[in-house]
Amino acid sequence: MISRFQIASKNLLRKKSRTTLTLIGIMLSSWVLVSLLGFNRGYETALNRDIDNMGYQLMVMAKGCPYEAATMMLQGGAGLRYIEQTMVNSIAARPEVDKVTPILMQAFFDPDKGDGGGIAGYFGIDLATYPGMKPFFRFRQGGWFKNDTAAEAVMGYEAAELEQREVGDMIMVPEKNVPLKVVGILERTGTQDDGTIYVPLKTLQKISAIDKITTIGIKVKKDADITKLENSLYQLPDMQVVSFTQVKQTIMKLISTARMMVLSIAIIALLIAMIGVVNTILMSVMERIQEIGILKTMGAMPIDIFFLVWTETLILCSVGGIAGIGLAIVFARLSDILVRRILPYSPGGELVAIDIRLALLTLAVILGVGLLSGIYPAWKAGRVRPLDSIRSEG
Amino acid sequence: MTTDNGVSLEARGLTRVYCRGSEKINAIDGVSLTIRRGDFVSFTGPSGSGKTTLVNLLGCLENPSSGELDLAGRSIFGGGKILGEKALTRIRRDTFGYIFQNFYLIPTLTVRENVALPLAFYKKPGVDGEVDRLLGMLGMNHRMHHLPGQISGGEMQRVAIARALVNRPDILLADEPTGNLDTKRAREIGEVLTDLNRSAGLTIVMVTHNPDMARLGGRLIEMRDGQAFESG
Amino acid sequence: MNPGYPNRSISRILKQLMLLMVLMLPAVPTTTQAAVNCELNYPASDVARLFPESDNYKISYFSFARQGGEPLLRKVEARLGSVPALYAPLNVPYTLYEIYKGGKRIGYIHGVNQKGQYGVLEVFVSLDMKGMIKAFYIQRMAGQWVNKFTLPKFGKQFVGLTLRDFELYDPVSGKGSGKVAAMTNPAPLAVTDFYGLQRAVKKNLVLMDEFVYSTQKGKQ
Repeated sequence: MISRFQIASKNLLRKKSRTTLTLIGIMLSSWVLVSLLGFNRGYETALNRDIDNMGYQLMVMAKGCPYEAATMMLQGGAGLRYIEQTMVNSIAARPEVDKVTPILMQAFFDPDKGDGGGIAGYFGIDLATYPGMKPFFRFRQGGWFKNDTAAEAVMGYEAAELEQREVGDMIMVPEKNVPLKVVGILERTGTQDDGTIYVPLKTLQKISAIDKITTIGIKVKKDADITKLENSLYQLPDMQVVSFTQVKQTIMKLISTARMMVLSIAIIALLIAMIGVVNTILMSVMERIQEIGILKTMGAMPIDIFFLVWTETLILCSVGGIAGIGLAIVFARLSDILVRRILPYSPGGELVAIDIRLALLTLAVILGVGLLSGIYPAWKAGRVRPLDSIRSEG
Repeated sequence: MTTDNGVSLEARGLTRVYCRGSEKINAIDGVSLTIRRGDFVSFTGPSGSGKTTLVNLLGCLENPSSGELDLAGRSIFGGGKILGEKALTRIRRDTFGYIFQNFYLIPTLTVRENVALPLAFYKKPGVDGEVDRLLGMLGMNHRMHHLPGQISGGEMQRVAIARALVNRPDILLADEPTGNLDTKRAREIGEVLTDLNRSAGLTIVMVTHNPDMARLGGRLIEMRDGQAFESG
Repeated sequence: MNPGYPNRSISRILKQLMLLMVLMLPAVPTTTQAAVNCELNYPASDVARLFPESDNYKISYFSFARQGGEPLLRKVEARLGSVPALYAPLNVPYTLYEIYKGGKRIGYIHGVNQKGQYGVLEVFVSLDMKGMIKAFYIQRMAGQWVNKFTLPKFGKQFVGLTLRDFELYDPVSGKGSGKVAAMTNPAPLAVTDFYGLQRAVKKNLVLMDEFVYSTQKGKQ
């Protein structure tokens, strides 16, 4: 014959556009909700992975020396302080240390760059150890240097674009007028690496007439006690230690505010969608008041009508919710791109991680909130008296 | 409590009072009547005379203000007891089928689904096959997969009649069943009702403005100012 | 029943959608990264130096993305006679300085980026209303020979030339005749940069012809 589920679903087909728009509302809010919940989980995982990928969890440099390119360039290289290269070996000898990589940062003044000249940042890196520490670097063209004394450079994407360099072209180190051959151009990373020019450590030392370095990147052995190593490195005279665990905590703190804000927006979006559900169902109840009355003359109990109308809410929320979650899964990579554009720092890999557990949890939330919002219209429908539906005359 | 001796409905001193502000209106004013099994009773009367209100009381769609009503020998109203919506629903689904001027078919369900609709909520034992039997009997077999929007007004009322009868009620209450139909279709519906009364022995209580329809029933009751006057 | 209700409900849901979109807007990817354009470092003093008779200037922008699109880009490349540069996509905004004197427009200053031997070349020319070069200016160039190219003697070779002079000469192959072909290279080692500068000026004039002078003719 005909089931109550069929009656409910066919009712929704009466006002197709209204039902569709309500479904879109639910779909979008569940999309946003599941993506954000997915982001909540994915971001931390990705950040951890990224920090692991960094290769080095600790950096050591002379006290007061800037430890990243942006600060160095802002200061025009004035704050650079050097450490002896022998320090590399003494740190490498510590039991907790897996690998180390020496880095020399240099800033050269280029009078022709931008307004009144500008600073070009060069990173002298050790070909044997550094690339392993940055496994997420992808080359747009070319690759790393031929050897550790080559007069070659690898350029970040923006540095290359600004100078219109391609692999095989030459660049001139400002101030020093030393030509270098471009052998690799990196893909855009969205980080300061984009504006950096990498040169073999020995080549940069030769150009700058310095036999020292500025920074040591340290990769700690698995299961080793990072805090203990950190503390022992602090004992080194005139040295500062930068720990990525700290960096991670700072980033997570920054993100958590943004995360809370976006989550609140998602909840508001969900509430708005649910008000849409209440509105749609309530309207459909009002429009069918006579039919509901007739159903009661046929023998439908108030609870039957309540469940009939509640089923409509359930259908709307499950279809909308499943569609939204489906879209979120299909477009998870797109959400990744969007998230990357707005966040101050985005780690590599999946930022929005949606698995079956999360999908089911979101669906449960949508259905739960949906069924709650369906109670009022359903209760109202259940209370309709048959006489209300019958024309009073005679 | 009366005993069932072929009496389907018995009303004694039924009264329904409505309040309009401080004014009390006696819509039904102490009506007593008996309807036997197999009767075809037509209620006529001018607008506001109380015919629909009386039929609503007889059909247990609402509680009377006072008076008594027995249904097949069982006391329903009386002694000042007021029945709740659930109790009224239980009585209605066991005893009555209703048809109205405005058919009230569900537009998204097919003719067959509309007829089967009451069974989704309540199904008397032994009514399997009633849907198709009634559709056949009312000549609607060929339209069973159509939607209400695709059939004529007369056909819609036939579907409504089939729907009202699907749970095999004892009494069919018809409130202006031909009010929305032209003369030809009204006559057809009249024939259907007469046939149901004569061949199936169905008790029919009908409210109508239409004198031709009113004459179809064996009994004609005229309502005036809330009181019932049986002619003939 | 309220007959106007379904419409109200639709408009409310649409509002809801718009709200969502507004909330998501900051997240919409800027699919095209801002490409590097060519602007004067010190426009006020640069304009006064390159166009001494001017008393005012206005900045406007043009790009292939906004006007002409891919077909026009191909046409310009064909007029320049070479493959497009790696970093010159459709959306590069070209900055045009419109030069005024007493409220009347008397010319333009326009610069282009061109690949040079050790880095980018930023080359500007000032032009009168007919497209004749009035001044030549290298804003950026890398290499030890830079000062040879920035000498007034070298820049003067461009003054008085028009697009017609550059059409007689191909700065990619170095073949052709006329005033451009007769120019002398002050730094024989810097062949790439010498031809790069000529090509930059030709590209500059072709772009000005397509985006500025031809539209002016069209208006007349």
